[in-house]
Order: sequence, then structure tokens, then C-alpha cells
Amino acid sequence: MKKFWALLLTMAMAVSVLTGCGESAQTQTDTAGNAEQAETGNADAGDNAAQAEAGENAQAEAAGLDMSNTVKIGILVSDATTAEALAFRTYYTDYIQKQYNVEMIYSDELTDAAGETSAIDTFITNNCKAVISFSSFDRAAQIEQCEGAGVYYAVATGTLTEEEYETYKGYEHYVGAIGPSLDVEFETGYNMAKHYLDQGKTNFAIFGGAIPYYTEMHIYRAAGMITAMVEAGGDGASYQGATAKEAIIGQIFADGEVKTGSVGNISILGYVGGYDMDDAWFGKCAQMAQTTGLEVILAVGNGSDFFGTAIAGTDVKIASVDAYASSYGEAMEAGMLDYLAGKFSASIGPIFIATYRAALGAPVRTAEGNALALSQGYWIAQNAEEFNAYYAVDSSVEAPAYTKELLDTLLTADYAAFEEFVGKYSFEEIQGM
Amino acid sequence: MKKAKIRTYMLNLTPLLGLAVLFVAFLAFGTMRDINISYGLKSIMNQSVVVAVVATGAIFIYTLGSFDISLGASAAVSALIGAMVYNRTESISAMAAACIGIAVFIGLLNSVLASVFNLPVFVTTIAMLSVLNALVLVLIKVNGTGSEIAVPAAAVRAINNMPFKIIVLLCFFLLCVFLFSFTKIGRMQKFQGGNPVCAKLSGISEKKMAIIAFALSGIGVGLGAFLSIIYAPTLTRNTASSVGMDVIIAIVFGGMPVSGGARSKIYAAVIGAFSMTLLGQIMVMFNLNSGIGQMVKAVIFLLVVFLATSGQRGKMLPR
Repeated sequence: MKKFWALLLTMAMAVSVLTGCGESAQTQTDTAGNAEQAETGNADAGDNAAQAEAGENAQAEAAGLDMSNTVKIGILVSDATTAEALAFRTYYTDYIQKQYNVEMIYSDELTDAAGETSAIDTFITNNCKAVISFSSFDRAAQIEQCEGAGVYYAVATGTLTEEEYETYKGYEHYVGAIGPSLDVEFETGYNMAKHYLDQGKTNFAIFGGAIPYYTEMHIYRAAGMITAMVEAGGDGASYQGATAKEAIIGQIFADGEVKTGSVGNISILGYVGGYDMDDAWFGKCAQMAQTTGLEVILAVGNGSDFFGTAIAGTDVKIASVDAYASSYGEAMEAGMLDYLAGKFSASIGPIFIATYRAALGAPVRTAEGNALALSQGYWIAQNAEEFNAYYAVDSSVEAPAYTKELLDTLLTADYAAFEEFVGKYSFEEIQGM
Repeated sequence: MKKAKIRTYMLNLTPLLGLAVLFVAFLAFGTMRDINISYGLKSIMNQSVVVAVVATGAIFIYTLGSFDISLGASAAVSALIGAMVYNRTESISAMAAACIGIAVFIGLLNSVLASVFNLPVFVTTIAMLSVLNALVLVLIKVNGTGSEIAVPAAAVRAINNMPFKIIVLLCFFLLCVFLFSFTKIGRMQKFQGGNPVCAKLSGISEKKMAIIAFALSGIGVGLGAFLSIIYAPTLTRNTASSVGMDVIIAIVFGGMPVSGGARSKIYAAVIGAFSMTLLGQIMVMFNLNSGIGQMVKAVIFLLVVFLATSGQRGKMLPR
């Protein structure tokens, strides 16, 4: 009898959890399907939404878009926990999904190419009309799989290599990519290092992030930093004999790391790469941060989380590339972060519109009929005040950087207008739109 | 007495009934939500086959009351070396042979090391896990482009289809069923797992049993590695990283007692692997592919295992 009750209780728990969760998912879907309902709680917001919806309907009608059916979009993610990933997810689920008639289905945190293939299979099974990818273990396979299944595919935050773009630009279901190009990544690293070189700093350490895994964007950022050092290093300055941008990039690719040593008058005193996250690795990080004479740690990714504690109470500065998250604001206030080149969460708005349009039958293509390949940059905060101003906009789910009103203008935009819109990515430019 | 027998019989069938219920639920919810069911079934097969094959081989290890924590890493190393062999020979057969050969070698190494050092086998698999994880990084760095080793997708496209995968799974499954249920090997394995002392006194060599179990498991791992390459020919440091844990879950989900012995079931792996995938697909239909989904899966997992093992908690062996 006791066993019976135990069994009954377990089943009741299982059913209640399943039902409860099912209800929330249903609510999410319903909410997604009705922007007006979602905003009834706020009269002003409701007025704005009504106006925006009227505008959107007019634009949609002009473009012949039928937005009455809910469009399912699968989102591939290889990272579900970092500040950047969470900010992107919040923008899509808490803003975009409530403003447009879409349902976003997220994959689990993917760790390999097989996971990507499985997740896309699952999206196709669930009648997703499009896939937006934040995962890049095998881009080529993802594009081929979606093309074969007749599902639209877009790269959310990044770009394809030139070779890949040439291969896939004409695919009917390849929407395109909007994100920092490798040139932008190089410039980001370059500007970061130059910011400190202009202040007269000469002793640097570099955190190489995923350089040991040959992640291109991290290699280009590091190459940008080193190029700036070569330029500021005086006559005859070079990095391992390399002086030109391409040669420095090639050298890092060949080594799989950044070598410490002198770059003319400038010194690279320390280097740590990878994300081993074990005791030995954290020990290396602490050791590097406490190197005698060190002035600046340039990180190709998140620097303050790994080095912030170790530099507390010193004059060492940390510069990072990541996203706008509250933890970075706290780090800036505490002197553990001095410079942030951060992606803003709404930067993935335009690629959503491009994908949505494709799913509705009105894709954006170049004059030659090719997929999008547009570059977008970072917001740079050099002090806590700037950070707070950017973060206030970036973290808002009521009025993010790219609001529905702004994004609606892309519903009918041609390629040139789309390109112009994406090209104006700085905080000031977006605020002026 | 008859009632008790029926009850035991039904409890033994619980994992199979669970699979049937999940399948019906998939079809019912899928129809309600208007999903692409035929594509979904293909997807379920694709997502289950690697775990089903590896777990079927691993049943022999679990039957001994042991376990191998390095199965996922072993699959990764086998797949990487298989891909390297393909890139040098451009032969799919050579790739398959390399995958199976390496996996069997790793399995044998585990069991032989355990014999030499007179350690429980699972202890050597823990050490092997570290070695294999390091080897994955070395192989990718030395032989790949830096972050991956890839077989051209076109090379495996011809065999990346359902019939081929079903044939591989079926052939290996039938071989294992034959060895497990109709030969001395299976009986000795179950005896060894159920009562090691009696097995020893009856002249059964524990070491020999471990070597046979790990060799058979190695064949499963090798086939799993081969199927992994066919499904996703770009291999990275995380390739097959989840296989090890998925195998353990599938085996338990399928109703296999973790203590091994006479109650071991060779079909548990296949049932468990497909049940897990079906459950995952149902979660996605309700947009629960997140933390909440994982919790729901955990509750259902506990429920199925509770039911499947509720008839096995007596002190007496089945007779």
C-alpha cells in the first residue's frame, strides 16, 4: 500500500511539473502571437505598441507580407550561460518574441557538430521555418542541411569566411550573416591596444581566450593588439620578425599562441590562453596578473572575471571584449575593468528581421541576388559612466537599442537601406535614428 | 503465485511499455502540434543510433557489475583516428576498420591494465578517461587544422541514410543478443556479475570475462565512432563528449540493473536510447528544451527506473 502511494505521488509530481511547464510554454506562445495583449499592462506602452503595430501593418501590407501566422524559428546556441549569451537570449525571448508573431525554439547548449545537426533535425521536425545560429562547429554542414530541408538559415553574430561566403552566397535558403567581420575584430584589438599605447603604457600582458583552439576572431583581435604595438614600438619593432598585419596573423596561427617578449620598445610580459578553468590555469592567470612591472592586461575576451581579483589594489588596467552585462559595470566601478568593447544585445535584431522576412517570403538579397554579409562593430566604454549609459539601453526590454519601431523600417528595406541601417551601429548613431 | 509472476513479468516489461507510451505520446502530441512526424522519426533514429550501438556493447561490462566511464572519450579518439585514416587512404572501409580497431584496443588496454595491476576495471577506465581526453587534443592539434579534423561530407553522404544505420544497429544488436542469450559467454557474464565468488569457485576467470566484455564493448564504441563520423564529419575536441553519460542513462532507463548479474537485459540499451530521444523530442514540442525540460526528464527518468526495478529489490536471485 505504501508503495502504491509513493508511486501515485511520484506520478502526480511528474504530471504537475509537465502540466505546469506546458502551460508556461503555451503562455509564451500565446504571448508571442499577440503583441497587443502583451502590452496591455502599460497604457503608454500600449499606445506606442498600437502605433507601432499600425505602422508595421502598413509596411507589411506594402511589402505584401502576411504576418498573421506564427513563424517558428529555431535558435542554435553553443553557449547558454555567459553574459553575452544571456543578453542575446533576453532580447529575443523577452522583446522580439513579444513584438512579432514568432515562436523561438532554443537548442540545448551545443558542444559539437553532431549536436548542431541533431538540433537542426529537431527544428525541422517542429516545423521551424528558419534557423538563426549562434553556434559554429560546422557552419558548412548547417547551411547544407538547412538548404536541403528548405529551411532558411542565418548567422547571428559573426560572418562567414570569404571562401565560405563565395560557396553559399547563392543558396536560396541562406539568409546571410550580420556581425563583426574579421577586419572589425582586428580593428577592435588594434584600437584597444592603441588606447593604452597613446597613454604611454609599455608593459602589457595578453589573454588569448580561444587562440589555442584557433578561433579566428580571437586571433584577429590579438593580431590587432600586436600590430598596434609594432607601430608604437619604434624603429625596427616587430613581433617574431613580423611587421605587417597578415604576417602577424599568420604567425599567431602558426604558433597557436602569442609569444611573450619585446616588440621594439613595447613589452609583452605575459600570455595565457585557453579556457581550461582548472586550478593550474587559474594559477597561471593569477601569476600573469601579478607580473612585476605589468601595466595593462589586454583580453581578447572576458578579462575581468579571470584577472580582476588578482589586480585588485594595483594600478594594472584590464581591457576586455565581450558584451554589456551588469557584472562588467560592477567590475568598472571596482576598478577591475578599464575598457570594454562590448556587443550590444540588440545587435541581433537586424538578422532576425532578415530571417523573418525570408520566412514570410520576402528575403533581402543583394543586387546580384546573393545573401547578406554585413559587418557590425562594438560599443566601446572607457569608464563606468559610459558603461552605465550603454547598459541602461542595452538591458532594457521595454526600449532596447533596436526597438520594434526601428526594426519595422527594415521590413520593407532593400539591400542598400538594410546595409546602411546595420552600418550605423554605434550607440550615438542608433540613438539618433 | 500466478499473480506475483504476472506482476514480475509486467514490471520487467515496464521499460518497453515506457518506450511504447513515449512513442504514442510523440505521435499524439506531434499530430496535435502539427509537426513533421516522418522527419521526426528519421531524426529520432539519427539521434539514437550512436548511443544505442555503444550502449548495447557496454551492456556486457554492466552485466559484470562494472562500468566504463571512458566510453565517450574512447569513441572520440576512435573517430578522430578513423577520420585521419580516411584522409590518408580515402577508404571508408579503412576508416571503419580503424574506428573499430582503436576502440577494441582501448577496451582491451583497460581490462589488461586492470589485470596487471589487479585493480577493479572501472578504476583503470577513470585513468583512461584522462589519457584519452588529452589524446583528443593532441590528435586535433597535430593532425587537424588546429581546431578540428574533418572528413569531406561528400565522402560519407552515400551512407548517411536510414537503411545503412538501421542495418549496422541491427547486425550488432543481433550479434550481441546471440552472444548474450545463446552462448556460454553471456551465461558466464551474468553469473560473474550476479555472484563473483560462486563464479570463481566454478572456474570462471574474472579477468577473462572482463577482457571479453571490454572487447565486445570496444566493437560497439568503434561502430558508434564510425556512425558519428557519418552523421557529422567535422570532429572537434567535444566530439562524442556526451556519449559516455548518455550511455549510462540509456542503460539504466532501459531497465538494466546497475549491479549487473542475472537480471541484465541486452535490449535495455536500445530501449533506453530511443526512450531518451523520444522524451527529448516531446520536450522540444512544448518548448521545454531548457533547464525545466531537464528537470521534467529527470522526474520521468526516476519514475521509469523506479517501476522497472521495483521487482528486483528482493534478496533472492531470479529463478
